[in-house]
Amino acid sequence: MRSIAVALAVARKDLTSEWRTRELVPALAQFIVLALVIANFGFQIDSHNAPAIAPGVLWMALVFAGLVAFGRAFASEREQSSLEAMLMTPASPAAIFAGKALAAALLLVLCEAVLLPALALFFGVPLSFDVVSAVLLATVGMAVLGCLFAAMVARVRARELLLPLLTLPLWIPFIVFGGQAVQVAMGGSGGTGNTSGLLIDLDILFVVLTSLTARFVLDD
Amino acid sequence: MTSGITRYERGAIAAVALMLVAAGFIFLYAPTDALQGPVQRIFYLHVSAAIAAYGCFAVVLIGGVAYLWKENVAADRLARAGAMVGLVFTTVTLVMGMIWAKPIWGTYWTWDARLTSTLVLWIIYAGYLMIRRLADPGRQAARFAAVVGIFGFIDVPVVHFSVTWWRTQHPGPVVINDALPPQMLIAFFVTMACTLLLAAVMIAIRYRIEVLMDQAAERVAPAPIVAPTEVGSAR
Repeated sequence: MRSIAVALAVARKDLTSEWRTRELVPALAQFIVLALVIANFGFQIDSHNAPAIAPGVLWMALVFAGLVAFGRAFASEREQSSLEAMLMTPASPAAIFAGKALAAALLLVLCEAVLLPALALFFGVPLSFDVVSAVLLATVGMAVLGCLFAAMVARVRARELLLPLLTLPLWIPFIVFGGQAVQVAMGGSGGTGNTSGLLIDLDILFVVLTSLTARFVLDD
Repeated sequence: MTSGITRYERGAIAAVALMLVAAGFIFLYAPTDALQGPVQRIFYLHVSAAIAAYGCFAVVLIGGVAYLWKENVAADRLARAGAMVGLVFTTVTLVMGMIWAKPIWGTYWTWDARLTSTLVLWIIYAGYLMIRRLADPGRQAARFAAVVGIFGFIDVPVVHFSVTWWRTQHPGPVVINDALPPQMLIAFFVTMACTLLLAAVMIAIRYRIEVLMDQAAERVAPAPIVAPTEVGSAR
């Protein structure tokens, strides 16, 4: 399929550019460690309360790291006016968008590869398969939605202000179910129920809606 | 226009009169609740305002989809009007709910699924109005807002079904469950009909304001200035 080839090429371009400059992921990794340090002072972490607080810290750090990662994905294109150039090619806007979202999601996964071990190390919580799968499932939906709104706000005034305002409320479902899954996996109490199934449902819903609307956001 | 009152004024007068009729049903016709006392009378307007807000956000959704499909400016104006009126009714719902919650629950706010999702609804549509203001007026603002309106509507069923999906403190659906005596039911349906009409009149008036604002904007800038997107033109 041509669109898939385009998407993969765009994703590769973004990842190559990040590999050459190495600015986003190291900065975000540092930000994540700082978030853990601040959480330590904010919550007075000790061995008793750490398992109860760790899930909240995880999602806080992830959400704000995600906002920065997705904001950068389109900010760099805007600075170079390169998105317009890409849109002038016969490639479909949806495929270009998919490539950018894929690259941004992979960069966020790299940040998660720092966040989860750091959380396990500093907060002494177990890192089970359930935690990793909940975070990865949430990343899919968060990435498509975050990139859609990042593409939008890259073209408007006050973009740094607007991205969290639009994105955070719609990320809440992922935080609700992802948070529940992580709480249960880290030994806290929480609802039972099939949270992975719900996260997959949400991912499908947001991927479908985004693929239908991305064209209107990019091709403007 | 010069002779007498406009149809918008007539609509506004009718809506206000009907809201007074609804107030009559709420305070004079409906019986006082045996357990909650007079505070229960908040229920009629609280639930009606919530339903009106759902309706307004459905208008935003339909207007947004219609705009993306046909590039119809009228559909976009309708969506704009719906978002603003819907935000007003969501505010009314939240504030009246909080006034009710204080004597009944002992607190204005609790992080209950229904309360939280309604607050999120408010934030989503406040963001909708925000992107309208910050995007380039015209096609871009309309397209971006339509996309936000489509995604934002996801929260409406979440708000509605939150009381059945999660264990909440918020009372469940009493109207469809036949938990109300007939007099309360009549008072509720009268209030709901009047509130929906009020919302419709408000949307119509807001729509007219949007038309006039669009015309004024066209008069100021006859041709939309489209900057050629060449390198360096951003400066």
